[in-house]
Amino acid sequence: MTEEPTFEQAQRELEEIVHRLESGEAPLDEALLLWQRGEELYRFCRERLDSAEGKIEELAGRAEAAKP
Amino acid sequence: MKVEAIDYGDRRVFSVGAFNRGVASWLGRLPSVWVEGEVTELRRQERWASVFFTLKDPLEGACLGVSMPRGRFDALRLDLADGDRVHAYGRPELFEARGEFRLRALSLERFGLGDHLAALERLKRKLADEGLFAAERKRPLPGLPRRIGLITGNDAAAKRDVLTAITTRFPPARVLVAETYVQGPRAAGAVVEALRALCREPEIDVLVVARGGGSFEDLLPFSDERLVRAIASCPVPVVTAVGHEQDTPLCDLAADARASTPSLAGRLVVPDLAKLHDRLDRARSGLERGTRRTLERERQRVDRAYERLTRAPRLLLERGRARLEHAAGRLRALAPPATLERGYAIVRAGDQIVRAGTAVSPGRRVDVELAEGGFGARVEDTR
Repeated sequence: MTEEPTFEQAQRELEEIVHRLESGEAPLDEALLLWQRGEELYRFCRERLDSAEGKIEELAGRAEAAKP
Repeated sequence: MKVEAIDYGDRRVFSVGAFNRGVASWLGRLPSVWVEGEVTELRRQERWASVFFTLKDPLEGACLGVSMPRGRFDALRLDLADGDRVHAYGRPELFEARGEFRLRALSLERFGLGDHLAALERLKRKLADEGLFAAERKRPLPGLPRRIGLITGNDAAAKRDVLTAITTRFPPARVLVAETYVQGPRAAGAVVEALRALCREPEIDVLVVARGGGSFEDLLPFSDERLVRAIASCPVPVVTAVGHEQDTPLCDLAADARASTPSLAGRLVVPDLAKLHDRLDRARSGLERGTRRTLERERQRVDRAYERLTRAPRLLLERGRARLEHAAGRLRALAPPATLERGYAIVRAGDQIVRAGTAVSPGRRVDVELAEGGFGARVEDTR
């Protein structure tokens, strides 16, 4: 992956790959490449979900400054 | 206008009168404007040339003395009572004798809720004409925002509702909260400022503007033109949840999505984590199933090809054999023994096959060959 995609881009690509694979239209070489890419995307998405840690912060300093 | 001063050494000193005249002259250069406020302390007497009252800002409590020529005031027949909302048109003025600052009104209009609504309606039409509310301007909300910006008042309810909705649905959410004024004359500017401040933060993918219910006037800042424009031009999508279902402040129309309650706004900006996992897992198994199916299909194709490959020479051989049998059959059918089988005979005279009666003469010995064996004979006569 040259540029890191957003979660949704990765998810969409993954689902398109699944669709293409399940349609049975892809020749073997392409199917194997698609599978590899799909696994990569799946791992990326999982990582995004699993690594995120809930965090609630206050923009205190600047919000105060914004108050006249 | 020249204001005369007295010089005491290097100190220039003005008399009170001169000072007031100077300030009055400076104030006199300011333009006439409209000022909105509530009328209090109305003082009108037949022998006065002017009518006096105080305009009060209902939100901030700030006060402004107003004087107006009595003739003009009477001509308007406004029948004003304490607390009536008016728009006064005039310019600032200093009453020089007392050094009192006030607004010298030239015109006065009653301004009620209806006028507020009419002004809102005008603004709404103007912004709609500019296309600020157009459906094609609405951006989709991110499916999984990296970080969510929340603008809310410091009243607990709206903020808590949004945060609870977000973290229930998607525990790993990251939210940056900006508390601002959400009521009163500073609210619109403060919300705009919070909007910009949040947009400057990294990874903010969506903004929520939430405010609980309130009176029509409480919600007016959310119809402020500056705020509506700031939301429309915000670089990331904005979800608004302001007031109750029946309130439609203009900011709702410019927002990319509108929620009827803060909780619903929270649900709009994050995905359901459990469903997201399900969807990913489904894609994963689809990936395996699809790949396996393709592999299986390709394997079968190779198998079929191999089978045909091995079958091909045998087929050729069989075809050759069949053709050979056919030829042999024809050969046998045409060969002399087969003809003899049908009752024909071959007559030879010496080495020669006899094909005509004239080829032999009576008394000549001939040999006759049959299908089985043969015999020798003599010719009796010829024809």
